[in-house]
This record gives sequence, C-alpha cells and structure tokens, in this order.
Amino acid sequence: MPSTDRTVEELTGITSVDIEAALDPTEPDGVYRDSRECAALALTSGTTSLLLSPPAPRPKKG
Amino acid sequence: MEQSGTSALLQGAVQDLSSDVASVLRDGGHVRLPDGALDGPEAGHAITVAAVRVLGADLLLPHVLSRTAPLPDTLDAFQRTVETFPPRSDAAPTVVWSHWAMGRTLHRFDGTGTATAEPDADWLGTATWQLLTHQLAVLAPLAVPGEDSAVARAARGRPVDVARGFVRAVRRRDWLQAAGAGRWLTLLDGVPQTLGLESGLDFVELMGGGDPRVALQLEAARAMRWAGAPV
Repeated sequence: MPSTDRTVEELTGITSVDIEAALDPTEPDGVYRDSRECAALALTSGTTSLLLSPPAPRPKKG
Repeated sequence: MEQSGTSALLQGAVQDLSSDVASVLRDGGHVRLPDGALDGPEAGHAITVAAVRVLGADLLLPHVLSRTAPLPDTLDAFQRTVETFPPRSDAAPTVVWSHWAMGRTLHRFDGTGTATAEPDADWLGTATWQLLTHQLAVLAPLAVPGEDSAVARAARGRPVDVARGFVRAVRRRDWLQAAGAGRWLTLLDGVPQTLGLESGLDFVELMGGGDPRVALQLEAARAMRWAGAPV
C-alpha cells in the first residue's frame, strides 16, 4: 500500500474499500414526485411534455 | 439507511470539493485545494486526498473546459492521488474507469501520467437502459467534449436509452443520476427534442441543486452547452 494511502487510513479510518464503494454506488430506491413538484415542473417545462407524463401505475396492494 | 461515520466524513469532503469545482465552473478562476493537502499531518488533509480520488477527473474539469493550466499544487495533489489509489485487481468497472479518466486528465496537463489502454467497456453494451444510465451517471467525469473513450462511444450509440434513463431518474427523484445523465445528453447527437433537456436540467437544479455534487454536474452540463462541442 502506498504511504499516502496508509496515512489517509491512519488519520481518517477511510480505506481504499471505502473509496471504491463511493466510486461504485448502488442505485438508491426511487421516491416519486408529489403534485407540488409536478406543478413546479409544469412551470419550467415550456412546450415539452415528456417529463409531464403521469407517473406509471403502481401495483395495488393486497 | 444510516451512514457510517467514515462514509459520512468522506461524503462531506466530496461535497465540499464539488462545491468548490462548481464555483470555478460558474465563475472562473482556479481550483484550489487546502494547503498541504497531501503532506499535512491533520486528518482534514487526509480526507481531502480521499475526496479527490472520489471526485476524480472532475477536479480539473474547469481547466479542461477553459483550456487553462491548473495551479501547480493542485496538479501535484491530483497526480499523487492517482498514484496513491490505483484500483484493486477486483475493482468494479466504474472504479477502473474513474482511475483511467484521472490518468488521461493528468496526461493532458503534464504529459506524464498514464496514457494507458482503455479498460473494458463491454458491460455497457449489454446493459439495460436503466443500468446504462446509472453507470453513465457514475462515470459522468468521462463526459467531456472532444474526449473519446469506449464509455463515450457506448453513450453515443444509445442516446434514446440515456434520454429514457434521464426521465426515469427525474421521476425517481434521483437528482444526482439525472444531473449526470443530463451532462451526457448535452454532448450526444440524436437526443429526442421532446425530452426538453434544458427544461429538465432546470428542474433538476430547482429540486436537487442544493447538493453540491448535483450542482457540479449541472454546471458542467451548462459549461459544455455553451462550448457546443460534441463528444
């Protein structure tokens, strides 16, 4: 291990594994917009419509 | 999910650096690191070194786009970070490509560094559009005008898939992925006009621009739009 790498780990506890994990993140779970955000998008969207399409239906529970 | 103290520390340092780079992209000037970032005995300096590795080639993006030389201390820190954190043998493709991008950037500025052969990018050719967009967003530092790579070629070959991924990221409120995908789309031909990329990026800024990492990608996209250069 290069000396600077060792210094970083000794001083901070941050290892190469931590760094590589930050460089290969998993995709976070999606959080869907609420109506206020849709309204804000409508104001900024101009003449386009694709982003304004309604959210995909979610499976019904039960 | 709660972060460990270590990852929170690293993420905070990456955000600080991202904020600095975004400011330079917006206002001009030079990217600066804390004095003695690589030599100081304090933990704060060591964290900066780790954060430089995570931020990767984007640390010097303002100088790539403006064709100006970075400060010698910044370039030295960048070089030493490249040398200090080579990818492990079993590292993920994004880690390997991130390191390769840093080497290419270093080579651009000082003629040294690694002008090595490109890593493998076959995994992108078979990736679903969702995975493709996620991986491209992680590898957004490779989205630079006039800089070719196998990753850029994969993006060029699938502009509609990246556009779909951008919309998906917006609808999932994954602002960092949306900003990274938007940065790629800025450079691609064949992006559907109906996407409304510019408005979409404005929306991402409105909703997620408070995160310095998102702001950095948006400033990069903006700077590249003005430059108008293709990949």
